[in-house]
Amino acid sequence: MKKVLEIKNLVKNYGTRGFQSRVLKGIDLTIYQHDFIAVMGPSGSGKTTLLNLLSTIDKPTQGSVFLDGTDITRCSNTQLSQIRKDKIGFIFQDYNLLDTMTLQDNIALPLSLNGVSSKECIQKTKKLAEMFGLREHLSKYPYQLSGGQKQRGATCRALISDPEIIFADEPTGALDSKSSRDLLECLKMVNDNGQATIVMVTHDAFSASYAKDVYILSDGMIKCKLTKGSDRKEFYDRIIDMQASMGSDFS
Amino acid sequence: MSMLKLAFQNFKSSFKSYLSLIISLSFTTMILCNFMNLVDSGILNQLGESNARNVAVIIQVLSFVIGCFMLFFVWYSTNVFLTKRKREIGIYVFMGLTNQRIGKLYAIETIFIGLTSLILGIGFGALTSQLFMMILMRISEITVEIHFQFSLQSGITTALIFSGIYLLFVIKGYINIVRSSVLDMVSANRQNEYVKQRKILLVFKAIAGVIILVLGYYMAIKEAGIEVMGNVFIAVVLVVAGTYLLFGGLIPLIFQSLAAHKRFLYKRERNLWINNVVFRIRKNYRTYAMVCVLMLCSVTALAFGFAMKNRYDGIVHFENTYTFQVISDASGYRQEFASLIEKNNDIDVSSDIEILTIDSGNTDNPYAMPYALLAYSQVKKVAEDTGMDFDLPEPGDEEFISLNRLYLMSLTNDLVEEIDTINRQDYRSIASTDTPYLGYMQENMDYMIVNDRVYDELQIYGQKMHLYNYKITDASHFETSVKDIQSSEHCLGLVKIDPEREEIAWIKILYSVSIFMFMVFVFAGGCILFMKLYNDAFEEKERYAILLKLGISKKSLKRSIADELLFAYVTPLVVMSISSYFSVKALGNVMHTSLLSVNIVSVLVIVIFFVICYLLSLVIYRKNVGI
Repeated sequence: MKKVLEIKNLVKNYGTRGFQSRVLKGIDLTIYQHDFIAVMGPSGSGKTTLLNLLSTIDKPTQGSVFLDGTDITRCSNTQLSQIRKDKIGFIFQDYNLLDTMTLQDNIALPLSLNGVSSKECIQKTKKLAEMFGLREHLSKYPYQLSGGQKQRGATCRALISDPEIIFADEPTGALDSKSSRDLLECLKMVNDNGQATIVMVTHDAFSASYAKDVYILSDGMIKCKLTKGSDRKEFYDRIIDMQASMGSDFS
Repeated sequence: MSMLKLAFQNFKSSFKSYLSLIISLSFTTMILCNFMNLVDSGILNQLGESNARNVAVIIQVLSFVIGCFMLFFVWYSTNVFLTKRKREIGIYVFMGLTNQRIGKLYAIETIFIGLTSLILGIGFGALTSQLFMMILMRISEITVEIHFQFSLQSGITTALIFSGIYLLFVIKGYINIVRSSVLDMVSANRQNEYVKQRKILLVFKAIAGVIILVLGYYMAIKEAGIEVMGNVFIAVVLVVAGTYLLFGGLIPLIFQSLAAHKRFLYKRERNLWINNVVFRIRKNYRTYAMVCVLMLCSVTALAFGFAMKNRYDGIVHFENTYTFQVISDASGYRQEFASLIEKNNDIDVSSDIEILTIDSGNTDNPYAMPYALLAYSQVKKVAEDTGMDFDLPEPGDEEFISLNRLYLMSLTNDLVEEIDTINRQDYRSIASTDTPYLGYMQENMDYMIVNDRVYDELQIYGQKMHLYNYKITDASHFETSVKDIQSSEHCLGLVKIDPEREEIAWIKILYSVSIFMFMVFVFAGGCILFMKLYNDAFEEKERYAILLKLGISKKSLKRSIADELLFAYVTPLVVMSISSYFSVKALGNVMHTSLLSVNIVSVLVIVIFFVICYLLSLVIYRKNVGI
């Protein structure tokens, strides 16, 4: 299987010299194509820092991150922006749809800015919207949509440029349980169809149970890895047990 | 902490973001102050009484215009400021402050801004007053002695006007805050509902706008005798209304249609900036319309100044056609007067002509003015002698050509056909000319040129006099020949023209003031757009942060910003250019002159200034949104 992302001995310090705190203490992780990985951990365990490093938004103190064979810790800002554009899709907790444009325009935005023909943009947008049940909402503005619809729209936007990998930062954090389930089903579907490799950061065991593998992060290190069997419910129970055994605050 | 202290701290900490507001407010104050001072300082008295009076009237009118402008400007800028501040100080709601107290906080803070602007404005006004006068007189080509003089009274008047206007809007803001709900306060900047406007309404506005605008243009240039002033007034109202409707209707309509047309939209950065324009125009269209109207005013003001200057030069040239005009009772003394003049001066050109004045008893003229007739062949001879153009057709037996003076400005914009009656015989005017065949003598009277036969026939109804015209080489030495000419017994009257005299110098001041007004308006228009974009940038900050997170390259974003800002500057400019063609043409019609070149030049000047503003906005905008 093709390696999409390979992390070697990733270390991140914050603070000024002499007053540094080490947030990530040497993380090794390999993500293959068609993986669906959830990163869990209590507050302050370094989840978001890890995601920021992987998604090129931040740079590590030590270690390297290979995305599709390129070491992104040694890239210039222009190259990083190119990588973000071509290879990475983002889903944020607060959707981050632009309120100035319709859902359709929001979804099409990354593609249209990449110079893809407008005909293809329209086709792809419609296809994705169909998959995510947003067909009749395309001409609406974000303020006219529910949270779940917005997040599914944001997911469409992340998928439209066929990225190598999708990073989702607490995608269900602002959603009710029904909308969360809808979104996670969608993510699972695109992953199962082989359309996307997904890395999701969450503190919610229910969301994590949709992933194929769950890594639990604690105190800047990976404590353990859980792999899903055939049944999601059973996987969910295992995650809950693990949380309970670790005992720390998970919200 | 007391309210006053809190307000002062707020003011101090965000002084930098108020800077654009303070600068523009103090600039307006400075201008008003300078104008006020010009009248109060007494420098104009050096121009002579009638000139000083005329200039004072002009400047008072202009001060009024600047006052009105200030009213709108303060209104506009405090409004922009209010929406911005409302959200920031609205947070105090959560700390349990009542709306009244927040309103008070806002009022005190705003008064600090006003006070700072006022002090700066009057201070700079006093400092620049001398410079201002020097520039004004220099452009006017008028020499007066200028010394530093700033009258306290003008400072006080300016302060009173500014404070009055400013306080009005502070109170308005206070009331607005007191009446706001908590939700309004916290989300004053986030009213994103109804991004799109209803299409039917837009179509209606667009059609109405275009029709009203075209109607306005038509009214402006329509030929309409004495009603032209009424028409111009209607045209002004229509064009202003049409411009507002155009920006509120047609332009959003076009952009909404573009945004709906996805094939077009999903190319390059259009998806970003066109959607942004659609989103913004609802709030911004008034600004664009205002800038457009302001620019239109500035171009028209400049054209007016130039037209006046042209006329002025024309009149001076006209009056200086001859240095001496001797009125005599008989013909044949041209050589005699010439030799008298040549004692002390050299003659450049000379001519002589017979004038037949017909008593009002023999005409139907209601004003009891005598008619003055000239014979066609004699006028032709004058033209030959002096080298002036002559391409008039010979009038028939019942026709005449009217010989007019140059008007500074007429209240009609068309030439009504004239019919004059002499001894119960109608004569129809077939042409008119303002070539100065009779020089200064043409200033106070209109002449009828008839053919020689008619002239001879009519001789029995009037009296004849003879006019001898001389232009000397060095007109400034005219004094030396006056006594010699008057010594002749055939000299019944003498008109002598002093080339240095400044009877109508006030027109020159009008000219320089109009240039000045042009600059002020253009500057103000540029500033308003600049300020608007400056504020918009703060609101856009979050959006651009999202776009950057999504991995959209800075290059694309920069291009999108460039397109969006270009729209903000180009649209008012285009609409203004079209409207200005008509307004300047209307002005040209009234002044009987073509002002197209002035129009083009002034539009070009605005374009250059806007390009500078645009580039500046681009840099600041990028900086503000963090790209």
